[in-house]
Amino acid sequence: MAWVTWRQHRAQVIAIAGLLVALAAAVLGTHLPIQAAYHRDTLSECLPPASRSGCDIIVRHFQGEFDSWATALRVLAALPALAGLFVGAPLFARELEHGTHRFAWTQGVTRRRWLLSKAALLGAATITAGVVASALVMWWRGPFDTLEGRMSPSAFDIEGLVVPAYALFAFAVGVLAGLLFRRTVPAMTATLVIFVAARLGVLKLLRPHFLPPLHRTALATDTGRQTGDWLLSDTLVDAAGRQITAGREDLAVLHAQQAGIDPHAYLVSVGWKRVISYQPADRFWTFQLVEAGLFVALAVAIVLAAIWLVRRTPT
Amino acid sequence: MIEFHLDPRSGVATYLQIVQQVKEALRLGTIDVGDQLPTVREVVADLAVNPNTVAKAYRDLEREGLVVARQGRGTFVASTLAPASLRHHDALRAGLERWLAAAEAAGLDEESVRALISSTLRETLARRVA
Amino acid sequence: MNAAPLDARGLGKRFRREWGLRDCTLTIPQGAVVGLAGPNAAGKSTLLALATGLLAPTEGSISVLGSDPLREPSVLAQVGYVAQGAPLYRSFTVADTIEFARRTNARWDDELVGDVLTRVAPSTKVGSLSAGDRARLALAIALGKRPQLVLLDEPFAGLDPLAGREFLQLLMDGVAETSATVVIASHVIADIERVCDHIVLLTDGGVRLEGNVEELLESHRILMGPRRPLGEIRGVRSIVRERYSGRQLTLLVLVDGPIVDPSWTIERVGLEELLLTYMAPERLPTPKPPERVPLRWHG
Repeated sequence: MAWVTWRQHRAQVIAIAGLLVALAAAVLGTHLPIQAAYHRDTLSECLPPASRSGCDIIVRHFQGEFDSWATALRVLAALPALAGLFVGAPLFARELEHGTHRFAWTQGVTRRRWLLSKAALLGAATITAGVVASALVMWWRGPFDTLEGRMSPSAFDIEGLVVPAYALFAFAVGVLAGLLFRRTVPAMTATLVIFVAARLGVLKLLRPHFLPPLHRTALATDTGRQTGDWLLSDTLVDAAGRQITAGREDLAVLHAQQAGIDPHAYLVSVGWKRVISYQPADRFWTFQLVEAGLFVALAVAIVLAAIWLVRRTPT
Repeated sequence: MIEFHLDPRSGVATYLQIVQQVKEALRLGTIDVGDQLPTVREVVADLAVNPNTVAKAYRDLEREGLVVARQGRGTFVASTLAPASLRHHDALRAGLERWLAAAEAAGLDEESVRALISSTLRETLARRVA
Repeated sequence: MNAAPLDARGLGKRFRREWGLRDCTLTIPQGAVVGLAGPNAAGKSTLLALATGLLAPTEGSISVLGSDPLREPSVLAQVGYVAQGAPLYRSFTVADTIEFARRTNARWDDELVGDVLTRVAPSTKVGSLSAGDRARLALAIALGKRPQLVLLDEPFAGLDPLAGREFLQLLMDGVAETSATVVIASHVIADIERVCDHIVLLTDGGVRLEGNVEELLESHRILMGPRRPLGEIRGVRSIVRERYSGRQLTLLVLVDGPIVDPSWTIERVGLEELLLTYMAPERLPTPKPPERVPLRWHG
């Protein structure tokens, strides 16, 4: 089945390899200016816990210079979906749509073996591609990760173990969608919808709670937060611990201004505090493991469902 | 080597046509004792007929003692139907050619010639029996 | 092999509200070349799809070479199947297609495939082949695995007469070589009349007629005579069809003995005529499964 899988999917594999090469080229090409700026501004001396005066400005300057690139990189979060759309979904959908399954499934290879072999080979390729992409991004983002951490989704989602896990999940969803919808376009659409829904669902509902969030109180006037942590919520509470609405805050500030007092000092004197819940940066790899494990487990379950279903597919 | 022709419209079963054509070839001396008949595969690949049909025809011929099947080597002519003297054959053929020329000169087309031959043959045979 | 190449018992398949096949019971004899005849939508394709595990039965059972194709799909390695339209991967070259078949079948023989390659370059894309070449390639692939059973679904559709003849040549050559049992589904009788020694006629999802071709032709006759009220006719088992025109009466009958009544003109019936008669909806009760009584006399 190795030859068969390669021959039927070589266009897709080559395209994905091409994408990775392009990514590598972009990463390599843009790496030099960043390194140069990093050393020129001696940003290493600005890393927490070390701090010297003016670091704020230097760091902001550095980020401003390369922010557009860093933002562009976030589009890579969509990359794993490609495994589902262009490798997973057409796997069955293309065969069933064109009727070639009446040729392929009446040879000496049973449908289950067909699915298992292809899923194993293409799944391995997907994981490999995910690992390569993740490694490239992590290497490129080195300076940024050092400065601002990688717990927040804009970095977390494109680094580490989750990238190959997302890709494998997307692939599995695509395969099952192809089997259920039997047409390429509906299968691709369903794959995209499910992938996005799953990612958002986990991101919003589950990831914040992989481990209980930590809490910290800060003065109403404090602006600083520990860099590198993933900020979950930052709410103003009164002395009794009740959350203060924006309206009430505005009212207080207005009151202070009318009285001629500095608003920040007024809020502090009234006993209001900021309660910050966050996930600390040192939980990065733990969270990576949990989320990657979750998506891999889902992928496996989906493939098992497809294996059960493939024998029953009416044609 | 014989080449078979199949006439699906003739109403005669395929295997019978093969048998008849072999016998005809034997009578005409086209094939002789020791000659090999086309293999079943060769006939089948040429005519696109059921191999069982060809096998049946060859079995019938073997039963009549005209051919013999040699395991693994093919089917060979065992005896002949040609009359003893080939000279008479030539003379008859020449006479027939002259008669055909005369028929054509008399204005008979192919259909009429066939009809004339068939009916005369039938009547002659009927008179012989009677 | 002791198991029949194909055996169906009360086989039925429903698609949404319609039954494509209903209460189909038949056994294909080993080594036969079987014509599966019947009008469009009679259930021929459905039957073949059920035989190859592409469809699951709604009721009844089907076994191929002794195995259920759904529960034991490995039996399909012994079955050569060409679906309607000879589906192949259009973007593959001829060589790719053969390699594909070679790698997905444990038993493979290049010999019959080589025959096709003499006319078509191995690097030709399948999508650019003529219908005839594509059909022959699909057939060569089906034969290349040296199957015990070959199933063909409307192989002549879209083929010109020459291509159809070449297809049959390749098929018969393959049968001579492998002694496989063959089932050819076709709604055009003339295409298969040449090679079939066994016929199964399907109409409206059920078996209408079945039997050895020679026996069927031997057991039916056409009787023509002056129009008259019909009683028992000696030698006639049952009347399959009656037709009147003016004063002439034409009957298609099942015979069980010599017909001595001189008022009848007796003729043999051709296969196509016979099947068309049984296909027509306006006629008689389904004949009982034909008893295999050899009917040999000269009538």
